Amino acid sequence: MTDSTKTTNGQANVSFDAQTGIATVALAMEGRANKLGLAFGETLHQGLTWAWACEGLKGIILTSAHKDFCVGGDLDALYKERDQAAMMERLRDLHKLFRAMETSKVPVVAAINGSALGGGYELAMACHHRIVLAEDRVRVGLPECLLGLFPGGGGTQRLPRLIGIQGALDIILQGKTLHPTKAKALGLVHDTAATPEALLAAAAEWIAANPKAKQPWDTDKFRFPGPRPGTMPARQILMGACGMMFSKSAGAYPGLQAAISAIAEGTVLSIDNGLEVEARYFTNIACSDQAKDMIRTVWYHRRAAEKHEGQPEAKDGHGLTKVGIIGAGMMGAGLANVCAAAGLNVVLKDVAQPSLDKARAHIEGLAKKNRRLTPEAREALTAAVSYTLADDDLDGCDLIIEAVFENIELKHQITQQLEPKLAKGGIWATNTSAIPITDLAKVSVDPTKFIGLHYFSPVEKMQLVEIITSKDTSPDTLARSLAFSKAIKKLPIVVGDGFGFYTTRVFSAYIMQGAQLVAEGHDPATIEWAARKAGMVVSPLQVFDEVTLSLIVKGSKQSRMYGKNVDFPGMALVRSLVEQGREGKASGGGFYDYGDDGRTLWPGLAALVNKPAPAVTGLDFLGRVLLSAQAREAVCAIEEGVIKNPRDAEVGAVFGIGFAPNTGGPLSWIDRRGAATFVAELRALAESHGDAWTPPDLLVSMADKGERFFDAV
Amino acid sequence: MTEAYVFDTVRTPRGRGKEIGSLHTVRPVDLLATTLAALRDRNALPTEHVDDVIIGCVTQTGDQGGCIARFAALEAGYDLDAPGQTVNRFCGSGLSAVNDAAAMVASGYCDLVVAGGVESMSRVTMGSDGGAIWDPRTQWNVGSVPQGISADLLATLNGITRDDADAFAVRSQQRAAAAIESRKFDKSIIPVKDDNGLVILDKDENPRPGTTAEKLAGLRPSFEMMGRQFGMDALTKDRYPQVERIDHVHHAGNSSAIVDGATAVLLASKDKGAALGLTPRAKIRSVALCGTDPVLMLAGPMPATRRALRKAKMSIGDIDLFEVNEAFAAVPLAFMAELEVDPDKVNVHGGAIALGHPLGATGAMLLGTLIDTLEERDLSTGLVTLCIGGGMGIATIIERV
Repeated sequence: MTDSTKTTNGQANVSFDAQTGIATVALAMEGRANKLGLAFGETLHQGLTWAWACEGLKGIILTSAHKDFCVGGDLDALYKERDQAAMMERLRDLHKLFRAMETSKVPVVAAINGSALGGGYELAMACHHRIVLAEDRVRVGLPECLLGLFPGGGGTQRLPRLIGIQGALDIILQGKTLHPTKAKALGLVHDTAATPEALLAAAAEWIAANPKAKQPWDTDKFRFPGPRPGTMPARQILMGACGMMFSKSAGAYPGLQAAISAIAEGTVLSIDNGLEVEARYFTNIACSDQAKDMIRTVWYHRRAAEKHEGQPEAKDGHGLTKVGIIGAGMMGAGLANVCAAAGLNVVLKDVAQPSLDKARAHIEGLAKKNRRLTPEAREALTAAVSYTLADDDLDGCDLIIEAVFENIELKHQITQQLEPKLAKGGIWATNTSAIPITDLAKVSVDPTKFIGLHYFSPVEKMQLVEIITSKDTSPDTLARSLAFSKAIKKLPIVVGDGFGFYTTRVFSAYIMQGAQLVAEGHDPATIEWAARKAGMVVSPLQVFDEVTLSLIVKGSKQSRMYGKNVDFPGMALVRSLVEQGREGKASGGGFYDYGDDGRTLWPGLAALVNKPAPAVTGLDFLGRVLLSAQAREAVCAIEEGVIKNPRDAEVGAVFGIGFAPNTGGPLSWIDRRGAATFVAELRALAESHGDAWTPPDLLVSMADKGERFFDAV
Repeated sequence: MTEAYVFDTVRTPRGRGKEIGSLHTVRPVDLLATTLAALRDRNALPTEHVDDVIIGCVTQTGDQGGCIARFAALEAGYDLDAPGQTVNRFCGSGLSAVNDAAAMVASGYCDLVVAGGVESMSRVTMGSDGGAIWDPRTQWNVGSVPQGISADLLATLNGITRDDADAFAVRSQQRAAAAIESRKFDKSIIPVKDDNGLVILDKDENPRPGTTAEKLAGLRPSFEMMGRQFGMDALTKDRYPQVERIDHVHHAGNSSAIVDGATAVLLASKDKGAALGLTPRAKIRSVALCGTDPVLMLAGPMPATRRALRKAKMSIGDIDLFEVNEAFAAVPLAFMAELEVDPDKVNVHGGAIALGHPLGATGAMLLGTLIDTLEERDLSTGLVTLCIGGGMGIATIIERV
């Protein structure tokens, strides 16, 4: 006989089977997913209490009434929390609840019928046994570090006690979420099940076979997996983790450091004391400015962009059946690949057969290596792309993306030649990174269907697409382009027209500031580290070499045409490097030399610059200047109507060009400093280094009025 | 205030710091007791006059836990009234013990103190005592990298190449071999024997006299992988951003060797010594300590030396001989370059690269070697200095009497 009802607060379904003695608690929290928010503790407590009161109880199955098991913390509550004492209390309550569940002597099995992420997986770890549904949509793991946090629901204490310190560090520091098979292989779950029915059956079986369940760490004979905490081998693992984490993050992420410390310090203590140590570190991180800024951008802004909030919606989706891509270079090949992967038919066109062959090799090579593809899917993907030299093969394309060289004459010629191939109502998109759409559309027969779709290399990896509309581009064109973005899984920002749009102008400001600092006599190695320390994903001189110096020099002619200043010492330095044949990584050397042993800064730089180091220099100064140049540019982009929605400035900078994710983005960075402080700093730089630093009017006005870009938390 | 004099120094030979080392089967307390007993016997010292026994020992756990100084004194048969204290200032412990003993004597708080050091690295592994320095939290609050990384960073900052380091190592080996050959250490070495009176070890067994630059050139840099693959080099970037890449020059052949050994030094006031019929050999002119950046860690000898010279109102040119601990080849090389010291005055009978560095004992052993060598060459003043973990430095200036 099964007794079933809901918990008092209605957020979980509870039932009891008197025959088997098994109670089932299925979390059914408000909304479409179970999260560790304010109602969670109460819900779980009510569910457990109800179960514990069942006469003849032998075990509890904890599962979910939603499609996912439990997907982590309620970020809304956490985002606003600044009261550290309050946060400690909530964490202690959570730990008490989980500990009560795992020490109650009644076995609890987590029947993980969907994704268990972050706090959701931490909930599962507090159960005695974990079985996960082996469907491809399901993921298990701890992604908190990607948001500037770390697992604060016991993850740093339970995971090491389950799979050892090394395994726990790997998963936590990289924010890994795993496919069910992998989760089992690594020990995050005990078993997998093929169907929801098999899942529950296996859970019941386990309870029957394990009437007295205890967590490993609550048994007398608990042996820590792997090296025991506090011993030399364990210390060495931690040291290795510190080194590797630091070399990747340059110390810009205190959350990572806190995670390592919580593991190091908590695992030598009892689990209860370890949880208290974790709570202190988590409170410190979660209530910090950095966590707030990262959550705002990586969670809120990013999701808003993904959902196209505030943008026109295409009622009938993108409506595309045939996509044409002109230019089979790296960008074109990558685009063809992602389109084919999204189930679209693609025609990749070029004027040179070798380019087409290279593109085919790229696409088919990646498909071969991709083990996630079934043979049928691989077949379908490669078949979806056709390669051609013939203009006519583009006939009937609903969308053509032009991805040829950054040259307005060439793009005009291609447009005139091939735009007529579009099907009626088809969209012409250009992948230009800087040339104003309005100018490119001058030769178009229908500027309302003309749009900029600026992707980033490598297209398969970089999520951002910068969508640029001219004043003529129709809302329908935009809406369908957004739907197309979604189909190929890109994260869109929508910006107004202007030379360099948003991302290119901010990126150029960054690398040119790097070159400028070298030209002023600052130590190049220090400049590079200062950028990393400030949080930039790649250092300026390194990335300059990667995009090539000659590209920038060639581009400078165009920049001058659009009124940009290209006569400053940094540009002169770049020009003289190019004159010497030092064009960048592809040509064998630029700011750096490239050898068997990796890259090293060209020793000839100092002689070329021929200046003593300035009096004011060092990591803090250089980092601030590099971020300031970009942030200033971002504000100019708002002023000029290129950035229409501030969230796009953040999303574009962080996901398109690696602007210090730890800051949340250039506008968050300004908000943290305060507009008034930033204005004063810019004025000081203008005094010492020239008018290019003058604060934009918008910023001065914000400073005067005490305004911010985003609400304070 | 009076002055502290050194009356005698003894040491065990240094055994290889591995299971196959000759002193591996000897308890550290026995190694130390051997030296304490020899010091007493050679000087007919009535041990009821020993005011304290101050012993350097770094890894104070396991066999080296408790207070090894006190129990070694008792094992050596010292009077019950001879207390003991075991001090840890990492690699500088032995010299720190000497300095503390000197201070107790010079202040008049004590009349006669035995100082020294002991370390059995084969039985008690370096680092096995743990400590905050291993905590990630301390590492990023304070800054710390493995010492080999610091050594390679020191080399890079000072333009010391792999060839420089290897050449220095060869020199250390050659000088040590020559010294052993001509029995220069005989004055101070006390053979370690078992209860049956049979010799366990009576000479330093670590040196490799046949070492050549070619042989060393074949060795892989020991710290390159941890530095470049495991990110240890990156941990130095915040303090030394101008160093684009650390040149990894050190390996087992040009770094101090891991060994077992103990030493004892007899310090007393002039009057106390005279009353006991002892002849002083040297006096302590000055002592100095300092702290520097813990990430670079090994640059302490230079400021410590400058401080000791200032306190003694001497200049570097006044020092006849130096013992600069060869923790890593870069350390004495950087020292000599920065202070402009003639290499022929430094570690004239080789150093820790050839002979080994028994952590807690070395500082006191170097003092003994220095006194022996000043006497041998009829020179007057000497300076001992060591780099120390955590960025500290220590130096002592002595003058023959």
